[in-house]
This record gives sequence, structure tokens and C-alpha cells, in this order.
Amino acid sequence: MTTVTVQGLGKHYGATVALDAVDLTIEVGVTGLLGPNGAGKSTLLRCLATAMAPDDGTIRVGGLDPAVAAQRTEVRRRIGYLPQNPGLYPNFTAYDLLDYVAVLKEMTDSRRRKAEVRRVLDEVELTDRARTKVRKLSGGMRQRLGLAQALLGDPELVILDEPTVGLDPEQRMLFRALISRLGERRTVLLSTHQTEDVGALCERVVVMSGGRVVFDGSPRELAVIAEGQVWLSERPPVGNAAYWRNADGFYRTIGRQPDGAEAARPSIEDGYLLLLGNAVTTEVAR
Amino acid sequence: MTTDWHLDPGLIEQYETGALEPSRIMAVEAHLLACADCRALIPADDAWLADSWSAVYDDIHAPPVSPIQRLLARAGLPEHRFRLLTATPALRWSWLLATAAVLMLAVAAARFSGDGTLLIGQAFLMAAPILPVTAVSGAYGPPADPMHEITGTTPAAGPALVLWRAVSVIGVAVLMATVAAVLLPGPGWYAAAWLLPALLLCTGTLALATVVSLPTAAAVLGGLWVTGVLAAVGTSQEQVVASMFGPTAQLAYLLSAALAAAVLILRRRRFDLGESR
Repeated sequence: MTTVTVQGLGKHYGATVALDAVDLTIEVGVTGLLGPNGAGKSTLLRCLATAMAPDDGTIRVGGLDPAVAAQRTEVRRRIGYLPQNPGLYPNFTAYDLLDYVAVLKEMTDSRRRKAEVRRVLDEVELTDRARTKVRKLSGGMRQRLGLAQALLGDPELVILDEPTVGLDPEQRMLFRALISRLGERRTVLLSTHQTEDVGALCERVVVMSGGRVVFDGSPRELAVIAEGQVWLSERPPVGNAAYWRNADGFYRTIGRQPDGAEAARPSIEDGYLLLLGNAVTTEVAR
Repeated sequence: MTTDWHLDPGLIEQYETGALEPSRIMAVEAHLLACADCRALIPADDAWLADSWSAVYDDIHAPPVSPIQRLLARAGLPEHRFRLLTATPALRWSWLLATAAVLMLAVAAARFSGDGTLLIGQAFLMAAPILPVTAVSGAYGPPADPMHEITGTTPAAGPALVLWRAVSVIGVAVLMATVAAVLLPGPGWYAAAWLLPALLLCTGTLALATVVSLPTAAAVLGGLWVTGVLAAVGTSQEQVVASMFGPTAQLAYLLSAALAAAVLILRRRRFDLGESR
């Protein structure tokens, strides 16, 4: 089932092109949006979340057009959004904050609203922190609270802008488990810099660069791009696109085969780096 | 935890059917607290138990009902509407206390300055309309509201939320400034003369906010008012007061405010953050 369809989406800030004729369809499951800073990920997510109107193109969420004022409210009923900087009120308790967002999501009946607040607190494992003020929560807990507000009302589309940034490994694991559960029956679209997140969570990955979609496929297909182009050698190579020394003391190279190097199994990161290298080269050539 | 002796089936049945005397109920319940085996024999209504725990959880964690909320509830304001207003940046205690402090200082200065008390009253009259406009600028959207990006993508976002918040902050600011105006020296009409200019600046700010952001709109109109006041400083203060707050000026403020309100109603959908400005 297609939840979101985007056609020819464009957005620019003055002379800077943030989105350049983006075409995309997103279905149930977890889709990762990967790309470097300034690739247009956040702009795309903000347009989908109705926080920003695009300059060109169309968006359909569940068949509804957010550009039409009358349909926009209905689109918002179907969306849960966690922005990169959610700005959660520091002096609110976790419970108060969710109660407030629940009112914004049209839950006017107090009993129903409280039940929903309890449900999402439980879902993000913050039930015992309900009375803690936001400013006293750890970074990971604050991020989970941000996710909880996005889940209020059980939206069919959950949009998460870099949800795992700044989290320690334990919190990241917890977050991944949460997102993975969400993706079982909802459409989850998350942006990230982390190829590990994509490998661990996403059934599908969309890579953006310079406001354009440069790859759309499975994480495995992204890794396959680097098939036959990843090498391990004992000496540093010369003239290749990218290389680094790994924990075993070998040089991992992406590009042409260095002298005496052996082929290595490509990872998602290898594919991503190779793809971005090509995208940047194409961008410069344009 | 369990004990060496247990409730007999007859006693359990009497307890379940409510046939026991209060003293025996207390004894049975004291035993049940200490004995998991006997507790397991008492059938529990799981749905009722879950509801009870939920109610207890909500009672502990839900925000308490404040005296102001009780007062507003009596005046007919629904509970969920109060929740929306509590998050209005310009209704936070820090903002309210700062405003109250400035007004108290103005009153104190006028009361204790001896000569020139009328001058302070007139200066207040000219500055007072800015107060509600400042409050409106902190009612909605960036940069006043750090959660604006979440707020703006919820179904409640849009004209209704902006107007509810604006009306509430204007109400509070006008109430505080009216109290200060009554306490200040000067003719009795001073206490009300600033209200129509304030109304015009507020409706004008909201109407202009359908084109630019709310803080920008407030800054533009507030700035125009201050510029007008400063431009008139060269002339006699009495003349300024007469020209800016006389009957003709008041009628002009009223008509302009009505015009701004009409523009606001016609363009209200532009308050949606999803639309380009």
C-alpha cells in the first residue's frame, strides 16, 4: 500500500536549491533517507510533514493533497512528526507535554486523552518518568519523548528527522527496537547520517545528494553498488576515491584495485560513499 | 509472601459475596495482604483493576487543576482549551511577572516623583498600547514558541489556535495595563483612552501576520506607533495627548481596527505554517 507519493517536488531558499524535482513513493515499513548535510533530507521531511510548502510539484499522503487547505488538516491527522530540533518545553513534565500535544491533535475528551498519553509513554518505555521535567531527562529519554508525541493518535505515517543523532550505543539500540516495532504496521520515514541505522532498521533506503534522489532501493542493493570495488591491502593505496586503516591494520580502499590488494565484501557504507563520490562528481560536471 | 494458615473456602465465599461484618472484612483483607496463596483464590475483575490503576496513575501524573483553571472552567472555558493556552509563551509566569514589574515601576515613579506626575501619566498613555502588541508577538510561531514546528504540523494548527492565544494574551495584558492606568495620576479618561489604539495595533498586527511572521508584524506596527509618538515629542505634551487620544482620533482607531479585523477574517487561512509567506 502506498502511503506517500511525491512528484517533481522542488524547493529553493533564494539561489540555493534544496529540492530538485524529487519523485518518490513510500510504503508501509521503515524507509531510510540517507545523505550528507545539505542534501535536502530535512526540507523533504518538512514538506511531507506540512511544516513547509514546496515551491513546485505535488505531494499526496493517503491520497490527500496537503496543498489544499481543506485536506491539509486531514493529512495532519494521519501524520506524526519528530523534527530535528523538537524544542520540547523544558519546564513541562513528560506527561504534561504529551497531554498538551494530544490536545493539539484534537483529543478533547480528557479520559481518552489520558489513556492515549499512558499508551505512548508505555510504548517508548517512559512510564516511570511521567512526572520528570523535560530538562531533567537524559538526551535519549528526551528523544524517546519526542517520538512519543509523534505517536499520539496512532498516525499511519511517522516522520523522524535524525532521531538517533547524539545517542549513546545503548540508547540507540533501544531507539532502533522502537522504530523497528513501529514499522511493522505503519509507514516510517526517517532521515539519518548513519549507515548503521539504515542497515539495522530499513527495508528501503533513499539516498539524496544536492536536493536530488540519487539512489532508491534496498540496503543490500546499496551495498552491491560497491561490489568489486572494495579492497583490503597492507599498504596505503595511491589515487583511489577513499581509503582508511581498519582495526586489523589493513587499508580498506574503495575504487580501483591497489597493488597486492584483495577483494573485500562491500558494506552499505561502501556503497553510500561510492555513490556520493559519483554524485558529487556528476554535480561538479553539471 | 505466604503464611502458615489460610482462609477456608466458606470464609472466602462470604467475603466475595459481601456477607461478612466490617471487622471480619478487615481481618480477611489484612490476611490477603500477607498471603499470596489466598489472594490467588479471590477472583479479580481484571478490567476493573486495570481501570483503577490507570485512574491512580492519571491522578498522580496529570497536571493539577490550578485555581485559575477552576475559575476559567466556571466561566465556561473547556479543560482542553486551557491546556492549549498554558503553552502560550506570552502567558508564562516569567513574562507576566516582568510585565507586572514594569507597570508597578511606572505607577511607583508617578506616585513618588512629585513634580511631573502628570507627565508620567501621559507618557504611560502613549506607551500602553504597545503592551498588548508585545504580548501578541509572543503568542504563536517562531521564535517565541520553541515547539512551533511540532505545533504547526498538528490538526489544531492554524487560525483558531493563533486567535485563541492572541485573545488570551491581549486579555491579560489589557487587564494589567488597565489596573496600572487607574492607579496613575491624570484625568479619569486616561484609564480608557489607550484601549482603542491598543485594539487597532493588535488587530493590525494579526492582519499583517497573514503576510509576514507574527513578531515581524508586531515590530512593524509597534515601531510605527513609537515613531509617531517620538515625532510628536517636539510639540507640547498636552497637544500630543489631545491629538492622539481625542474623539476624532478614537473614531479613526475604531474604524481602522474594524478594517483590520475584516482583513484578518478574510485572510485567516494564511496563518497556517504550511503556507509560504
